[in-house]
Amino acid sequence: MNNEMTLSFVAIEENEALARMAMTCFITPLDPTIEEISEFKTIVSEAVTNAIIHGYECDGKSLVTVHAVIEENKVTMTVRDEGLGIFDVEQAMEPMFTTRPFMERSGMGFTIMESFADSLSVESVLGNGTIVKFEKTFSPVPEASRMR
Amino acid sequence: MADIEIIDNGILIATLQGELDNHEANRIRSHISSAIYSGQVRAVIWDLTRLGFMDSAGIGLILGRMRDLAPVEGETLILNPSTTMEKIFTFSGLGPNIRHCTVDLAIGEIGGVLHEQ
Repeated sequence: MNNEMTLSFVAIEENEALARMAMTCFITPLDPTIEEISEFKTIVSEAVTNAIIHGYECDGKSLVTVHAVIEENKVTMTVRDEGLGIFDVEQAMEPMFTTRPFMERSGMGFTIMESFADSLSVESVLGNGTIVKFEKTFSPVPEASRMR
Repeated sequence: MADIEIIDNGILIATLQGELDNHEANRIRSHISSAIYSGQVRAVIWDLTRLGFMDSAGIGLILGRMRDLAPVEGETLILNPSTTMEKIFTFSGLGPNIRHCTVDLAIGEIGGVLHEQ
């Protein structure tokens, strides 16, 4: 099955849940396992939270855009902001690195995304924004372990 | 949603439900922190049995409360996370704090340790 969607929303924390819910609905036809859904939701949540709080500093007016494509059993998704950008992408992707320790950001977002996605890429230009792109394949599994 | 209870021997039990993301962590952080700073809290048990979702904000929340507890060398136990959450805790070095057991057994474990001190 092939499908495509785009969702844009303003940079407020409440929209983290919106993005997770919308994306979970979008992948439901792939008949994913509970664990696949849970890992996918976590990747979405990390990427969207980064865009809202780091990209736009929760400004409540700039738009985060989520775009996703389903091809067969693979989902390719991008999360784009036109915000502050990342100073040093390599450093940002190191486990435990955060620019916001006082906000209790753990610095584990990219590590989690890399672990749960098949592939992850990050493009960022200071002052112009960030695009996080990832792919996740939903493998066929025995009927008995599927969520109904 | 977080239900916070401090039982007799200074153990704070935080029972979490729903989805723990950055937004929710910001909502409940001060409640748990002020409970710890109210004094007498020597340990925190995070009961995640009924938590439906958690991302790295949960790691930030728990590590932050471990810092709150550091002055009293307080213990932290994380109960019954889902498979995905357990992976996230393990990436973050919190694997040793995870238990798959009832709240009562966890209280027993911490109670025993505190008794020895």
